[in-house]
Amino acid sequence: MIKKVAAKPLSWLERIFFIDFVRGLKITLKNAFRKTITTHYPYEKITPPKRFRGFFAHKVVDGTEPQPAFQEWVNRYNIQVEYGKSRCVVCLRCKRACPVPQLFEIEGKKLPNGKRVVSVFNMNMLLCTYCGFCVDACPVDCLYQTDIHETASYTRKDAILTLEILEQIGRDWQVRREEEPDRIWIDDEQRTRLWYENDVKLPKPEGV
Amino acid sequence: MHSFWVDLLVAIIKILVILGIALGIGAFLTWVERKVAAHIQRRPGPMVVGWHGLLQPLADGVKLLTKEDLFPRYGDKFLYHLAIILALVPATLVFSVVPFGPEFEIFGYKVKPILSDVNVGLLLVFALGSMAVYAVALAGWASNSKYPLIASMRKAGVLVSYEVVITFAVMGPIILAGTLSTYEIVEKQIEQKLWYIWLQPIAFVVYMFAALAEMGRVPFDVQEAEAELVTGFTVEYGGMKFGLFPLVEWYIEGLTLSAIAVVLFFGGWSPINIPFVGFVDPLFFLGPLSPFVWFILKTTALFLFILWLHWTLPRYRIDQITQNAWKIMLPLTLFNIVITAILAPIVWR
Repeated sequence: MIKKVAAKPLSWLERIFFIDFVRGLKITLKNAFRKTITTHYPYEKITPPKRFRGFFAHKVVDGTEPQPAFQEWVNRYNIQVEYGKSRCVVCLRCKRACPVPQLFEIEGKKLPNGKRVVSVFNMNMLLCTYCGFCVDACPVDCLYQTDIHETASYTRKDAILTLEILEQIGRDWQVRREEEPDRIWIDDEQRTRLWYENDVKLPKPEGV
Repeated sequence: MHSFWVDLLVAIIKILVILGIALGIGAFLTWVERKVAAHIQRRPGPMVVGWHGLLQPLADGVKLLTKEDLFPRYGDKFLYHLAIILALVPATLVFSVVPFGPEFEIFGYKVKPILSDVNVGLLLVFALGSMAVYAVALAGWASNSKYPLIASMRKAGVLVSYEVVITFAVMGPIILAGTLSTYEIVEKQIEQKLWYIWLQPIAFVVYMFAALAEMGRVPFDVQEAEAELVTGFTVEYGGMKFGLFPLVEWYIEGLTLSAIAVVLFFGGWSPINIPFVGFVDPLFFLGPLSPFVWFILKTTALFLFILWLHWTLPRYRIDQITQNAWKIMLPLTLFNIVITAILAPIVWR
């Protein structure tokens, strides 16, 4: 059933004294003297949440790999594991999961000792939709999305993330935010400047 | 002969001062408006150029001057440029009959801080105010483009309706003062110890509405209507030519209409009024400067009130606007005039 709701017609008193105007003016005046809630963007920047879907990164081998999955994949593909280098095992699952697969350019190479290692890993960010399917698909927690969101560049060439850049971003991210617990925005102390007034209370889960 | 040259010199100084005020303050008011709008929406507004963006109007001016000057292919070049002149000149000319303060003596010469104290000052104000309709209509027509044409027709409709209303609205104060000269109206109010707003609240409300309509401000900004008409009749103007129209329409006209409202309803340069008793001047320590400060304060307050309204209210439809003008405000003002005309002689004469 459709319930039709019409605005309440104004009474004569309200018409003569512009009561609705006055109400609106009161609200704007109240807001005009409240503190501003914006950030002055190029000069001050808000930290994005840890799980932000920004530029991609390759996490590097540093002893925090998901075990035993990482060891299993390394054994299966006979991968040369090197400390401080990408965890990639060249399984190409990211490319398969991608809605625009041609943005990935992945190659591995065989070392003289018979083991294998990733040699080329290019991502063309001009085609990327930042959907994060490749991150979900990665079995060794290597490919990852970071909080870097200023992705503009002067040339198309700069929009391509090579293996070196990915590793560098990953190393940087691991130093900055790896230890940080996953949080939602409301709990995040780094974002309190935005949310300090909202006074949002999360409903408590029942029966815990 | 000697006094002629002195008069000429005084007139030239007055003209320069008034032009400086009108154009300088007019440009600066863009900053004020942006700040007010921003804070109402809980933003800080311009912050980069100068202290709290104080030099932003200069930066905007430089930007507008260096922009490409476009002209629509089948437009009428003569009318296109005439529209700019017709917008700027009458709006600035209105300042010539705005009294900024009482007569004062300097180096033995008596100087009235009003450019030309003509005895039909108010008539001049509204005659020049109606010239705005030519500017808008020509701008829309000469651009040879559909949005400007729609906008200019809307604005012409609004202006024609509200010119009638505003003229009838100011009849009340004119009847009370018995003169058309702006300077004498203020003197009368001081003499009668009465701001006319106490006796003419209806006229004041109607005047404010009509002033909003003439300035093209919310709730009557159908000709601007950035959501539907992409800022109306200025679409085909570029660079500084584009900058001039809002400058004139929103700021210079806004200033003059606020100043005229102060003259008519708030006793010009007189301090706070207690009706029929006298004036209370909390700024007495400023001495001879106090009347000027009062005039500026009142005009600023009224202008800020207009800005406040602008950033609060939504927009009327064109039919609602003209309906308001002809069906509600015109009868109201006529009623007001009749009551005033009956009562005024009983009270004062």
